[in-house]
Amino acid sequence: MGRAEYKVEGGKLIKVQLTLEDKKIKRIKITGDFFLHPEDVIEDIEQSLEGCILDEHELNSLIENVLKSRRAVFLGVSPKDFARCIMMAGEKNE
Amino acid sequence: MSEKWRLLDTGLNDAFYNMALDEAIVIARSKNLVPNTIRFFRWNPSAVSIGYFQSMEEEVDIKACDEMGINYVRRRTGGGAVYHDRDGELTYSIIMNENHRLISRDFQETYRTLCSGLVLGLRRLGVPVEFRPINDIVAQGKKISGNAQTRGMGVVHQHGTILRKVDPDLMFKVLKVPSEKIRDKLIKSVKERVTSINDVLKREVSFKELTDALINGFEDSFGIELTLGSVTNFEEDLAQRLKVEKYVAREWNFKR
Repeated sequence: MGRAEYKVEGGKLIKVQLTLEDKKIKRIKITGDFFLHPEDVIEDIEQSLEGCILDEHELNSLIENVLKSRRAVFLGVSPKDFARCIMMAGEKNE
Repeated sequence: MSEKWRLLDTGLNDAFYNMALDEAIVIARSKNLVPNTIRFFRWNPSAVSIGYFQSMEEEVDIKACDEMGINYVRRRTGGGAVYHDRDGELTYSIIMNENHRLISRDFQETYRTLCSGLVLGLRRLGVPVEFRPINDIVAQGKKISGNAQTRGMGVVHQHGTILRKVDPDLMFKVLKVPSEKIRDKLIKSVKERVTSINDVLKREVSFKELTDALINGFEDSFGIELTLGSVTNFEEDLAQRLKVEKYVAREWNFKR
């Protein structure tokens, strides 16, 4: 299992826990003290990431798409920050 | 004539009821059963609340809480873990229509607007505070209030904490630290980053004096008139149900 924490400068803390299978995300849990509205979109984000390869650019656009389709907004973090932290957790897993 | 809002002072209650009542008021407001409301409340026993997205096991020292009889609960709002000391801390909630003139589509801007009521009240008490984005109020550069907001069903719900007095040592008994080695360091850093009303004013400020000042601040800052009211039967029944079915339940508190 890979774990990482990433504190956004002037923003909030993101913690990622993930397991990989064939270089793809099998399970992922994202926690932290950030804000996301509506809150339950976090589950959509996690679900959409399962099966995804560890590509920072791809992760970023995937999260952006979930936000767009659910008309959701972040506060204190961005999709880029999420992608960064997921990459860090993935690298620790390998 | 200024706009009339309801004021609630629900006093000391356990963490699960406190969070359930907030949600019950939100639902009552969404059904137009109650007016816009500002609620003051405290926690008995003392409790830890964690943000919607946090992990209970990672943030809270559950064993220490159980030993000290301290409750722990997940909030419906994001943000960080907060220790709500029974005698040290005051909590407020604002529950209002999303279409209200004070509400912007921008969350950051709305934090600033809604926190301005607290800022004005605390300044009148003599505490030199200012809003610090994203969601804090600071005095002399140190945090004195943390706030969290959510929206849904056409209602904005913001709640937050105001530190009347603070005990960083106790704070770190209930919150998890990455390792025992850095516990002292963290306590020291909290002492440098967090303050309280009693610390700043160098005198004991009662809860009564504090809430009176905040009521004043909210009224003048929001352009509203607060009238002391009570929790309706609808809200009370719903709060009791939400307490049992949601906020006490492991399924909710340990869901992340």
